[in-house]
Amino acid sequence: MNIFHGRFGGNLFSGFLALGAVAAFPGAAHADENLFGYNTGAETLPKGSGEIYVFNTLRSDKGQGTYRALDTEIEGEYGVTDRITVSAAASFLTIKTNGLLIDGYLPAPIDKGPRFSGLEVKSKFNILSPALDDFGLAVITSAEWKRLDPHSGQLKTEYEGKVVIAAQKYFRQGQIVWVGNLGLKAGHETRAPIANLPAGFDWPTTPEMEIELSAGTGLSYRVAPGWFVGAETHYTSEYETEVGQERWSLFAGPTIHYGGEKFWATLTWFPQIKGGGERYPGQTDTGLHLIEKTKTEFRFKLGINF
Amino acid sequence: MTRFTWASLFAVPVLAASSSAIAADYLTVAQAQHILVPQADAFAAFPVTLSPAQLTQIRQISGVPQRTAQPRVWRATSGGRLAGWVIVDEVIGKHEYITYATGISPDGHVLGVEILSYRESKGGQVRDVRWRSLFRGKTVRDKFKLNQDIPNISGATLSSRNITDGVKRLLAIHAVALAQVR
Repeated sequence: MNIFHGRFGGNLFSGFLALGAVAAFPGAAHADENLFGYNTGAETLPKGSGEIYVFNTLRSDKGQGTYRALDTEIEGEYGVTDRITVSAAASFLTIKTNGLLIDGYLPAPIDKGPRFSGLEVKSKFNILSPALDDFGLAVITSAEWKRLDPHSGQLKTEYEGKVVIAAQKYFRQGQIVWVGNLGLKAGHETRAPIANLPAGFDWPTTPEMEIELSAGTGLSYRVAPGWFVGAETHYTSEYETEVGQERWSLFAGPTIHYGGEKFWATLTWFPQIKGGGERYPGQTDTGLHLIEKTKTEFRFKLGINF
Repeated sequence: MTRFTWASLFAVPVLAASSSAIAADYLTVAQAQHILVPQADAFAAFPVTLSPAQLTQIRQISGVPQRTAQPRVWRATSGGRLAGWVIVDEVIGKHEYITYATGISPDGHVLGVEILSYRESKGGQVRDVRWRSLFRGKTVRDKFKLNQDIPNISGATLSSRNITDGVKRLLAIHAVALAQVR
């Protein structure tokens, strides 16, 4: 069964898209720029204005068997001042995997979702405005609670804190936009036990600590009024209590953005270019990290301002 | 994913584009001309072709490039005598182009700025007469620094910056190509 169509996928996607389309038409909403799928700019919302986002990220293909996961995030954002934006988000996970077990990471086939997977609160503080100060700079801090493991779909409890420094620069009066991000994430997770694990299968349930470093950049060009075409890249490296550097990966791909009077939409294709760290036994794509990452990601973002 | 889902995924931006391509046109060029130089009794299109050297000069004076070598210029006259100039220009807004007109006196002072088309739903304060009146009397020698001599408009920083830079650029066109014309 195709999880993205048969049981809930078509309905899920269609539902969110319909929600976005319906909400987009009435009222006067403004499209804030969110030109990239994985990197963020330095701008904040004006005081008193709000925005609702729906992010869908499809992660697929670990090289063997079937692996598809859809992360859906619904986020509300509000401009407290012209320089401070706060937001809260709820996330949902839809996952189907079979034909591939990875000791310690993918313990069982699964076909579930969408299930509520976590909550996040975030604040963004704009230090420099890219239009006003020539160079934009913002600090984004967030705290997240998760109840599902995004890789296996199994139950776990995770608390994460993250800090991102976001830089942004306009070129040619805004025809070209550059952004750069640096991030540091720390997480504390405890997995729930699983019954009937394969013999000798490792599924640690003692608390673990993770630290992830990330760096990304993107460049987007305004090809027509409201339309931007660009490319972006994102590097992450994760360190764990037991194993030191567990993984690193570099994703890069094209992105297309439309921003109009009523809402904006961004679509990014993000294949993994290079990766390393731990590999699962029998992994044939040795130049990629495929335990916690996949070969390809697609992200579709929809934002509605009010 | 299925073909149906992908079709939906791409359908929304297309739907958005078709739904939001609504231009908000506030003034015609003729209306703007009469507001900017009210004493004029005639407005004649004044063909200007800027040389590469003049384009370089304009960039040096204004700090931003003049994208076209043929700006849209009208010569305003009153009783046959030069009363001022009207230049219609476009700058990049947050998402769409902003079309505006600037009136310039024969001696190079801003007579006024009028917004002809503004297509963004926020930052409409650029149409506010109080904001636009802050340009009146400025010359090419003024700084035109946003948030110093022209206030920024929250939520439309890029639009207000580009209009501010644009007005200075039009004053530079006047200084380079029109100031000697009588």
